[in-house]
Amino acid sequence: MRAPSRKAAARGVPFSPSPILAVQLPAWRSRFVLFLMFIAFFGLGLRAFWLQAMTTDFLQEKGRMRYARTLELPAVRGKIFDRNGEVMATSLPAKGIWIIPDAVEVTPDKLKQLAQLLEISVPELKKKLDASGNFVPIKRQVEPEVADQVIALGIPGIYARKEYKRHYPSGPIASHVLGFTNVDDAGLEGIEYSHQKELAGQTGSRRVIRDGKGRVIEDIAYIREPQDGRDLTLSIDSKIQYIAFTHLKQAVEEHKAKAGAIVVLDVQTGEVLALANMPTFNPNERQGRNINHVRNRVFTDTFEPGSTLKPFTVALAMDRGLVTPDTVLDTPNKITFGSKSVGDSHGHPPSMSVAQIIQQSSNVGTIRVAQKLQSRQMWDMFTAVGYGQALPRSFFPGAVAGRLRPYKNWQPVDQATMSYGHGISVSLIQVARSYMIFARNGDIIPLSFQKVTQLPQPQRVITEKTAMQMREMMERVVGPGGTAPYAQVRGYRVAGKTGTAHKVEGGRYVNKYVASFVGLAPASNPRIIIAVMIDEPTGGQHFGGKVAGPVFSKVASNTLRSLNIAPDTSVANVIMPAIPVAESM
Amino acid sequence: MNQRSLIPMLALLVLCSLLLVNSQHQARRLFIALEQAQLRQQQLETEWSQLQLEQSNLAKHARIDAMAKSMGMTVPTTDRTRYITVGGR
Repeated sequence: MRAPSRKAAARGVPFSPSPILAVQLPAWRSRFVLFLMFIAFFGLGLRAFWLQAMTTDFLQEKGRMRYARTLELPAVRGKIFDRNGEVMATSLPAKGIWIIPDAVEVTPDKLKQLAQLLEISVPELKKKLDASGNFVPIKRQVEPEVADQVIALGIPGIYARKEYKRHYPSGPIASHVLGFTNVDDAGLEGIEYSHQKELAGQTGSRRVIRDGKGRVIEDIAYIREPQDGRDLTLSIDSKIQYIAFTHLKQAVEEHKAKAGAIVVLDVQTGEVLALANMPTFNPNERQGRNINHVRNRVFTDTFEPGSTLKPFTVALAMDRGLVTPDTVLDTPNKITFGSKSVGDSHGHPPSMSVAQIIQQSSNVGTIRVAQKLQSRQMWDMFTAVGYGQALPRSFFPGAVAGRLRPYKNWQPVDQATMSYGHGISVSLIQVARSYMIFARNGDIIPLSFQKVTQLPQPQRVITEKTAMQMREMMERVVGPGGTAPYAQVRGYRVAGKTGTAHKVEGGRYVNKYVASFVGLAPASNPRIIIAVMIDEPTGGQHFGGKVAGPVFSKVASNTLRSLNIAPDTSVANVIMPAIPVAESM
Repeated sequence: MNQRSLIPMLALLVLCSLLLVNSQHQARRLFIALEQAQLRQQQLETEWSQLQLEQSNLAKHARIDAMAKSMGMTVPTTDRTRYITVGGR
């Protein structure tokens, strides 16, 4: 530093004209200032070092939080199509309305508007707004337009979140096959549940940089690629499904029945073409769902099949060469096992041929056939066609195995009652599938709910000859002298078997019935199997041939036309008897 | 290094910097375009789903059945149907 007595050089005038003003400052003061400045700079340097070297990670993280965001990339749930590519279930964007209760400030006027938009009563809405919690839903799966209007009200603390809503265009018609999802898009029933993993897909996420206006300007990294759910193509044909559903509904209403179920199978591929239940529910409506209506009776309910089982006993005996369709057996009015006696509900000649036994569904006759068999053989037969066997879990949720007791515990009376379908319980899908051995000339294949691209490996159960003979015999069941003339189909030869079983309640038979009919068509070269079950018909009729037979006839006729299967007989072949043969129970 | 070679180097540096700025700008612009295209894709997919649903709703067999009945139409019976199949069967 120089001395303070500097002169303005240009004019040679002294800077301070008066020597009095030339104050002599003490030298330490300038040094002190210099020192302070040094300390200050040192402090800055230290701070800079601290920020740059010691706390970098923390600060960089803080910085990133300001501009980087992790975005959720939602996966869209897969669609479900029918076999012809028609949409049966699809997800569309919807909005969920969420609130932060503490932040909500609302005027009574706006509250009213909000209640109106969300279709909630004002007191109920108030209760919801007073809820505790951080982020509370007040209504989920709102239409996007409604959500926009809600946000436009400008109430603080109310937010809309993107979500998806599932739509089922077929409504109650196919609801039991498809099932439904919950608000969080997870399948709860039916195909939606059994194929949850494939349908759901995987949500992804990515890190991005956002500018001041919130626009995404750069990707930092994909943390996980989102994977949309896989689309499913079902084996269901929505036209046949509609046909089956409407005729089932008609029959259940006409006979004032408690419930009913129907299943249509493709004989060649094992595909389920239609499956319907009554009562039913609308999967599009979440509220007021009755658990009893949701149950898929085709899979979850077992019943004593009754006479629909007789062909298996007879086929087994024929297969072993023990009887032929023409073998005549003496058929007394009653057969007694200890304290129990079994008879028929209609009179018949003292001796009948095997073909007649099937045609007229005689219990006594079937027992006569079964008496030639060993219980082990019958058990093997029933097991081979799937009775008492659980269907694969992936096939349908909640499918039951039914009950087939081990043959070692069978008493002679058990073997006798089982031969005509009592003392054994099966589900409708099991009955329908078991008839494949007659429809497919002796073998059986697994069923599928998805469109089949590769034919499954068949398993032989009976010989081709037996199967064809059995079909001929079952054709007579729907003939004028059989138990199910109402199951005849104009223009087609059909074969089938009626079943009427007493229901068991609390271990005892009660005066309630399950009427069923299983049939295949066309009999000359079977393409479809239809199984119908009507639970507790109370309209005055309870025989399978009278209650379930007509349903078969109508569904078969329409299904065959829809599948473009040509008639195999003349169209004027329907002969109705005055009084059909009543079936034995 | 002499001053003569310094000047072209400086020019080159300035040029490179400008190019960098330009390509960064291009990248952002393209990125925004990509974002918009992806958004559009999502919207179109949603629209496609909506249209599929609408088609299913309009082609519902229950609806066709009801409309046909209201117009006095009936289901064709087998005796009034001619089946056309390969091989004449």
